[in-house]
Amino acid sequence: MSRHFPTIDFRANARRVAPAVPAAVQRATMRFLANRAAVVQEMGQARWEDLRRAAHDLRLHTVEHLDYYLARAEAQILAAGGAVHWARDAAEARRIVLSIAQQHGARCVVKAKSMATEEIGLNHALEAAGIEVLETDLGEYLVQLAGQGPSHIIVPAVHMTKEGIASLFRQRLGVDAPAEPQALAGIARSRLREAFLSAEVGITGANFLVAETGTLVIVTNEGNGRMCTTLPPVHVAVVGIEKVVPDWESLTVLLKVLARSATGQKLSCYTSFITGPRRDPAEHGPRQLHVVVLDNGRTRILRDARARETLLCVRCGSCLNVCPVYNHVGGHAYGWVYSGPIGAILTPQLLGTAVAGSLPFASTLCGACSEICPVKIPIHEILLHLRRRAMEGDEMDPPVASGLIRAGAKVSAWFLRSPWLYAAAAHLAGMMQRPLWRDGWLHWLPPPLGRWTLVRPFPTFQGDFRSWWRRRRGGRIAARPPRNGTGRDD
Amino acid sequence: MTEAREAILRDVRAALGRSESSPVAPMPATAGVRAREPGSLEDEVDLLLAEVRRLDGVAKRVPDRGSLASALAGLVNAEAIRKATLWSTSGLVRWGVAEALRALGVELIAPGTDPRDLAECDLGVTEADAAIPETGTLLLRSSAAQPRSVSLLPRVHLAILTPAVLRPDLHHAFAEVSGSGYCVLITGPSRTADIELAVTIGVHGPRALHVWVVEQP
Repeated sequence: MSRHFPTIDFRANARRVAPAVPAAVQRATMRFLANRAAVVQEMGQARWEDLRRAAHDLRLHTVEHLDYYLARAEAQILAAGGAVHWARDAAEARRIVLSIAQQHGARCVVKAKSMATEEIGLNHALEAAGIEVLETDLGEYLVQLAGQGPSHIIVPAVHMTKEGIASLFRQRLGVDAPAEPQALAGIARSRLREAFLSAEVGITGANFLVAETGTLVIVTNEGNGRMCTTLPPVHVAVVGIEKVVPDWESLTVLLKVLARSATGQKLSCYTSFITGPRRDPAEHGPRQLHVVVLDNGRTRILRDARARETLLCVRCGSCLNVCPVYNHVGGHAYGWVYSGPIGAILTPQLLGTAVAGSLPFASTLCGACSEICPVKIPIHEILLHLRRRAMEGDEMDPPVASGLIRAGAKVSAWFLRSPWLYAAAAHLAGMMQRPLWRDGWLHWLPPPLGRWTLVRPFPTFQGDFRSWWRRRRGGRIAARPPRNGTGRDD
Repeated sequence: MTEAREAILRDVRAALGRSESSPVAPMPATAGVRAREPGSLEDEVDLLLAEVRRLDGVAKRVPDRGSLASALAGLVNAEAIRKATLWSTSGLVRWGVAEALRALGVELIAPGTDPRDLAECDLGVTEADAAIPETGTLLLRSSAAQPRSVSLLPRVHLAILTPAVLRPDLHHAFAEVSGSGYCVLITGPSRTADIELAVTIGVHGPRALHVWVVEQP
């Protein structure tokens, strides 16, 4: 599947980002971080840490017994009168959803925000078949109208201004709107209200799928998730295999950390719990419920025990908010639907390192993401692991690095590992620079080092750290007994 | 179809080194994160009202059936209610909500009808099945007598409840919903910050949420 995607060049993408984008993104991330800090403080750091630990343990337990909980969830959805479809990849998932929509003669489908459906490129497939697709989350609706991609997982249109939105509405909807958030939201509300009432199919993702009862859990603030699962006669939910949770008890823990981490709310406005289609026409709700269970590379993530915890993610977006790199480039630079630190580990695993091998390098490895993650994914460790996989090649893709660079890395590893070789090389380098010295600087270096001296001189090499240290401290350190008996700590 | 199912389950098991008959380890304990201790019933009601207000909802105590009628008159007046729909739960019947609204000249729409008619309503009245004071959350179940659109489509949502349905934690509230086909947690009126992060109330759901606690049911 990775063959269909052009290579993601993070550096090139980042250079194309308009300066206004990071400014807008930072306003959002600062707001969310401040709100989050306030609700965490209100509950108490100790209780919060207990919750995070429990959330991590529960998610890991589920992922490590995923086959069992998936089979259980399937049986319960069927028992509640729903249908379950399994999709190995994006193409299979698109075919399933399209055929359900066509069976019901759908002309218009309404969608609640769902990363899984963006991942499989569902909108495009439905539109190609002549079906109108309306995103109903306000931010997603704006981004869709403008023909753009989301720049933040929680506030997709954070890069757009109210003036830009007003002129977008003038062009695309033919309405004259004041550049005022309440009025603009009102226009979107009335446009979408009509769509909710007339659409034949509602499509959503799911935040969780409770195996115990086969219950889909959908969290939204605007109420569009409720609309999509209440008004159209058919509801289709596209759910990644990792979304399953064992029971309502574990769901409690996860709901408590999700909204607090995402937006700093104690709970989002609406959390819907859907077990099968409606039981009585008078209660409203869809006549049919279809759950599409999506693999699309997730079992491959499961296979690598060192990266497996990527699948614990609950898509709260807090790692984006705290990431210094994300805050300076925004979501578009990551080149696909998932951005920020979670995108940097998820995308290369889903699309392959040949496509997204640059993303694990788009990080300072500061570890703030791992520290804030509500399910304690060791993101910075997985970033490092994926850097190695990208350089050396893995079961999906050949190495990203050229043979020369890999050989160079091997050789330098040798030198760095042996104090004796290292000292000898340092001494040699000191000798070799002599002919190039000019007033304490090196103004020219041979390729490939010459790329540095193209624009600035290089300071002369003063010898290696060990000999400098020995000279400085008069050999006092050497007099100490070696630590741990390794004898390498001179 | 079944081919995809078998392939995915096979891949999952292969990745985990499991087989169909592999045992399932016991669930990790969550006992350490159990619920906060509730305060007195009086304090819990206060907390619920405070949290709902913090979320831009309108919340108040209603002492008895008599004051409920005058509270409804106030609401109908303040929100310019002409058309309303309501659940037929035992509480709403006992409190005479339908009669009171009719007496105020409000047209009542049957809740189980076409959602288009409900979308025309100014007010939807429900009775909460549970509420969580700590987060200002209402829990509403769905059934033929409690259609789910009543709390969603009308412009204003009024949820009435008694102190007896307060639960200290999500965990206790979920005990009420086992076996439900559909239920929803409502925490404040519908909102978004999608346009320049300006908090906007009333996007797709109701534009106003009123929560009344009836103290002498």
